[in-house]
Amino acid sequence: MRFYADVHLHSHFSRATSPNLNLEYLTVWAQLKGIQVVGTGDFVHPGWMKELKEKLEPAEEGFFKLKDHYAASVKDKVPSSCRCEVRFMLSCEISNIYKRLDKVRKIHNVVFAPHFKAAEKIQSQLGNIGNIYADGRPILGLDSRDLLEIVLESDPLSYLVPAHIWTPWFSALGSKGGFDRITDCFADLSSHIFAVETGLSSDPLMNWRLSQLDPYVLVSNSDAHSAEKLARESTIYDTEFSYRGIYKALSDPQDQGLLGTIEFFPEEGKYHYDGHRACQTRLHPQETKKNNGLCPACDKPVTVGVMSRVEELADHPEGRKSPRARPYYSLIPLPEVIGEAKGVGAASQSVEKVFIEMLGKLGNEMFILRECSISDIKKVAGALIAEGIERMRQGKVKIAAGYDGEYGKINIFSDSERGALQEQGQMTLFE
Amino acid sequence: MTLNPSQQAAVNHQGSHLLIIAGPGTGKTHTLTYRIARLASQLKENERILAITFTNKAALEMKHRLSKLCGKRIEKIFVGTFHSFCFQLLQEHSHFKDFCVALPEEIENLVKDLWPQYANSQRKNLLEKISRWKSIDFDKEPPAEIAVYNNSLRTKNLFDFDDLLLESLSLISCHSSRLQDYRYIFVDEYQDINAVQHRLLLKLVSPQLHLTAIGDPNQAIYGFRGSDVRFFESFREDFPGATTLFLEENYRSAPNLLTASGQVMAKTKFSFVPALTAKIYQEGRLIIYEAPTDKAEAEYVVHKIEKMVGGTSMFSHDSGRAAKHEEAHYTFGDMAVLYRLNTQKNLLKEALERSGIPYEISGDKSLEGELLPQANDKYVERSEKVSLMTLHTSKGLEFSVVFIIGCEENLSPLNLENFKADIEEERRLFYVGMTRAKEQLYLVRAQRRMLFGKTYENSLSPFLTDIEEELQNYERETIKKISKEDKQLQLFKSF
Repeated sequence: MRFYADVHLHSHFSRATSPNLNLEYLTVWAQLKGIQVVGTGDFVHPGWMKELKEKLEPAEEGFFKLKDHYAASVKDKVPSSCRCEVRFMLSCEISNIYKRLDKVRKIHNVVFAPHFKAAEKIQSQLGNIGNIYADGRPILGLDSRDLLEIVLESDPLSYLVPAHIWTPWFSALGSKGGFDRITDCFADLSSHIFAVETGLSSDPLMNWRLSQLDPYVLVSNSDAHSAEKLARESTIYDTEFSYRGIYKALSDPQDQGLLGTIEFFPEEGKYHYDGHRACQTRLHPQETKKNNGLCPACDKPVTVGVMSRVEELADHPEGRKSPRARPYYSLIPLPEVIGEAKGVGAASQSVEKVFIEMLGKLGNEMFILRECSISDIKKVAGALIAEGIERMRQGKVKIAAGYDGEYGKINIFSDSERGALQEQGQMTLFE
Repeated sequence: MTLNPSQQAAVNHQGSHLLIIAGPGTGKTHTLTYRIARLASQLKENERILAITFTNKAALEMKHRLSKLCGKRIEKIFVGTFHSFCFQLLQEHSHFKDFCVALPEEIENLVKDLWPQYANSQRKNLLEKISRWKSIDFDKEPPAEIAVYNNSLRTKNLFDFDDLLLESLSLISCHSSRLQDYRYIFVDEYQDINAVQHRLLLKLVSPQLHLTAIGDPNQAIYGFRGSDVRFFESFREDFPGATTLFLEENYRSAPNLLTASGQVMAKTKFSFVPALTAKIYQEGRLIIYEAPTDKAEAEYVVHKIEKMVGGTSMFSHDSGRAAKHEEAHYTFGDMAVLYRLNTQKNLLKEALERSGIPYEISGDKSLEGELLPQANDKYVERSEKVSLMTLHTSKGLEFSVVFIIGCEENLSPLNLENFKADIEEERRLFYVGMTRAKEQLYLVRAQRRMLFGKTYENSLSPFLTDIEEELQNYERETIKKISKEDKQLQLFKSF
């Protein structure tokens, strides 16, 4: 079966997350977005674990679904055009902060468990090591390698995926707290890593430049901190609809069950370029090099973003494909496209109105962004939005790259274009 | 690993008893192990070495180091505490071979049976009195209860903890052939030995058996437990012909931190202890922070810890909000928070719980507790945590970053209604705390503090005013609370 999965996200028990991150709203938003498999996130948190056990029931092997009466309470929030079955799998991100070889390592890892018993084993081990109550993503002084061992010992099908591996501050290959090689991070247990998460600021094209990543299949997830951010990145499968199906697609290099990934345009990510947010200096890696790594405004070292870091560790030029390479599709979230067309922020009420109308008439967001015919979109949402989606599909967008924690800024239309296209649209309306 | 000239001299010394006065961070354990290893290499057939440490943990560490230096010869070296040495001694004696050390609850029950009319506090007092007699006042008239108490123990084939030493003492006097193989005795942490341990040494040491004692009178902090730093001063009378050597080069602390701790100690009565020289050249940070309340003090410490690991959460993470580059190379295991009284840790614990920062409270493990096996979880052991502990527990440890909280007049030195301590010992205790820091030392105090249900308005600890003003950096920092906007992300309101 063909399906989309977004398995790295957070619950309302994580820091700086929306209160709407509960199982009901995740079920709603998964349908609006067009995602069939959602990670629970945060299973190590005892409060969230309690909610999971209360509200979920087993479905396909290793998958869980919202119990009927909880699902019923939010059913009317999903237009019939979007309704589909949603499954959960047990996942949790861990923040590992520790010292290895005299250097501070700050690495985020996502762990997965095929059933509650395994999840609880992991939970109880981690509970001995640190505080699992304060944050849905616990902060532990535990070596990533040791975390991996704990995960592997919980069940043969439990696994770990290094999260957004290029993020400067918190990742396996990050410029600030990472290693130069994934295998340095997981040491003797490295062979148990079979997938890595590219994160918002990098796309597969960038990752394929490193031979060291050849053994891994690339996955994408949203790392959402609110339900509406769900599926901004995701992974597409065509395999058995179960935890085991996903596990096999990831772990078996011969398996073709992973079809590809949905990506941000990497420039849109928060750490694509280098720079200083406080000084508002955004630097292309080459400019950084010219400035000897220093900020032109304050003369202190810049935060080295993903592009620079990839350049530093890459052993191939751009354009090379890794042996486990899969296709990927760069998308812009629909509210942002609508906002761009209207010349307003993606979170504004007028965007929301159009978004809901489009979903109601056309289908879920993933369908609209990837498959829906442009003429259908035009009928429902007007020429400008249709043109925006068209341009996005063709990759014809300008983005001021993100840096030092600042998201990139999308620019599909220039102001004059927007005016001209709007007139055109009105003309066609009169014809 | 190399030895500096004074360490080398201490290692090579031959021909008499030796007292090594070794300040914090001077390579005391390093020197001691090398000296033991060197002398072990000269042992003849059957000759043995006895090395006494203050704790079992220190003994393990010493064995580990020695095994690297000595190889197979380590079999000729007994490494352990006075108690473990004496326990072995007693067990080898036919009369005591079936004896065990009573568990704390066994002693409690025994006292309950013997004196059922006593209240809990009376029983506790009685046990303290007995322990004091056995370890310090054993030459004086014993407490009236002791005969009954001892009898009751012995009929059960039990010793209490203090018996191990006292019984060994009488055993050595009348029956010491087994000990004749020992050629050298080493005693670590000599400033912390008590009267019965001192007497044991006097009995053990002979012209054929040389003693090496090492320690630092400035770090004598167990007077309340019966240790007596005066044995340092009387060493040359106790062991005629003894030589004294000094280790004065500090390899641990940044120079400004070392100077500051030296200034706090300048008023000590141990004028024979020389000041230390810094062998670390990189300046450290000495920060004095005054918080309005004890709650604010705890928030400050947690905020600092978070800053020093360069932020613990990804949201709000950019270079502007994260720590300066030079601050951000610490992890949780690099940091310790020290306090005078256990009760001070409660607010800190709450603040740490809220933050999610992993921490661990290193308890003042009773000596008895040390004999019992500990549950081990390798992941727990390997994972990093911020250490919380009393100043007493911190002795012998080092951390890149040290916070001492409660730097106030009634906590350092301890001076509360029901707790008054010897000011000299309090000064040494504060010195021990300060000298744990390698790079950064935060001396923190609260202007208002609740202690045992009472509110105190406090001024600064007098120890801090002994630090010259030039070294004192006052930090005034407003701590930014997590703002509401960080929590409230923009949401679609209709769902």
